[in-house]
Amino acid sequence: MTAFATKAIHGALLKPEAHGSLRPPVYDSVAFEFADSHQIQLAFEGRKPAHAYSRITNPTVDEFEQRVRILADALGVIAVSSGMAAISNVIMALAETGANIVTTRWIFGNTYSLFEETFRPWGLETRYVDMEDEKAVAAAIDGKTRVVFLEVITNPQLQVADIDAITEVAHAHGVPVVLDGTVTTPYLFRSRDHGVDVEVISSTKYISGGATSMGGLILDNGLFDWKRNPKLEPYAKKFGPGALLAGLRREVYRNAGACQSAHNAYLQTLGLETLSLRIGKSTANTLALAQWLEKQAKVKSVDYPGLASSIYAKRAAQFFPRGAGGILTLDVASREQCYAFQDALKLVRRATNINDNKSLILHPASTIFCEFDEAQKQSMGVRDTMLRLSVGIEEVEDLIEDLERGLAAL
Amino acid sequence: MQIVVNGSAENVPDPALTIAELLQRSGVESPEMVSVQLNGEFVDRQDYGNKSVTDGDEVDFLYFMGGGRA
Repeated sequence: MTAFATKAIHGALLKPEAHGSLRPPVYDSVAFEFADSHQIQLAFEGRKPAHAYSRITNPTVDEFEQRVRILADALGVIAVSSGMAAISNVIMALAETGANIVTTRWIFGNTYSLFEETFRPWGLETRYVDMEDEKAVAAAIDGKTRVVFLEVITNPQLQVADIDAITEVAHAHGVPVVLDGTVTTPYLFRSRDHGVDVEVISSTKYISGGATSMGGLILDNGLFDWKRNPKLEPYAKKFGPGALLAGLRREVYRNAGACQSAHNAYLQTLGLETLSLRIGKSTANTLALAQWLEKQAKVKSVDYPGLASSIYAKRAAQFFPRGAGGILTLDVASREQCYAFQDALKLVRRATNINDNKSLILHPASTIFCEFDEAQKQSMGVRDTMLRLSVGIEEVEDLIEDLERGLAAL
Repeated sequence: MQIVVNGSAENVPDPALTIAELLQRSGVESPEMVSVQLNGEFVDRQDYGNKSVTDGDEVDFLYFMGGGRA
């Protein structure tokens, strides 16, 4: 059993199901009982592999985590309540007051807000660099750097950094790389094969099966020696390569209460089973639409890493042989034209999510980046003339017909 | 010899018992998920077959799951 789709469907049923159910049940229970006092003591001491309380572990969530672990060949996986919970939990596990993070200047707006508005007041500094410039990354790292954080494809700038080069620079300085792989998932990008130490994913997106539920994932690829991280050193002494997973499960994840619900884990396990089919359709649609939009006179420019005209085409082909994801951006003449275009659409929905089954459109400058001033937006690569299109799994002819409607309104 | 396994004293007849043998002898659940500590220090999985316990050793079989307060 080696193919992604096969593993996604058959996964790892951890224990035989009592009634032989082919679909593992939803263990929608807060607490689990024990046969005697000694057994519950062992469970609380971590000396028995048992579920005690669903904020810490739950059988349905465990099933989801194990399936993702198998798909990504990761050392271990922890499912959390959202993609932002995945990022915040990992950073809290690895960094402390007085330390710093090095990341891309084109970071996702909510992640920027987390780093600046939530973590900075606690004394954790974030240093923003151009991930295209490995020398700048190296120069930003010092003895207090705990993480180099990047996104596999930035949203909405669609930059594809040279992930191999970044991991090499970070590791040369003894710093782990955490990568947000939301828009690719382990189906399109195998982070472990590129030296990424930890992958975080918003499973709300592609994995949930069509925006069914909120969720996040933390994947430890088992590549980094956690003894080199001051916060994890005590855990590394006790748990070796499992230090980050232990540090999360026994401290940050447990204490921050970012657990995924059993119901959401069930929905996301269902989504996982059809992930390859849906991403295949979504990425094929995205490429077709990007190629079509490039030929339209009213469209000033189209960005999609899978386009031959993209400055990232070669890198995208190298990193994402199955396709460069389901997001493209297009620029028209003005903000007014952006609004007219998206208001004329009847099939594509105006909404802020990405990687849904439905195609979604958004004007990033006036929505997810509305809290930033013009200078900040410019430095973050967010243009007032840009629309972000997250392409779903509809038939591409129907999507083109809708986009024609949008262009006719300009 | 006497060793302490998961907090309980045990008499072990074999003086050269390896961690791998101790895992089997103790009937540890889900051994692929367990993390072994010998006298508070992590033991690498690849050393299970060649690292032996000696009299007075404390061995813990720990899991990432399950631990903690609720």
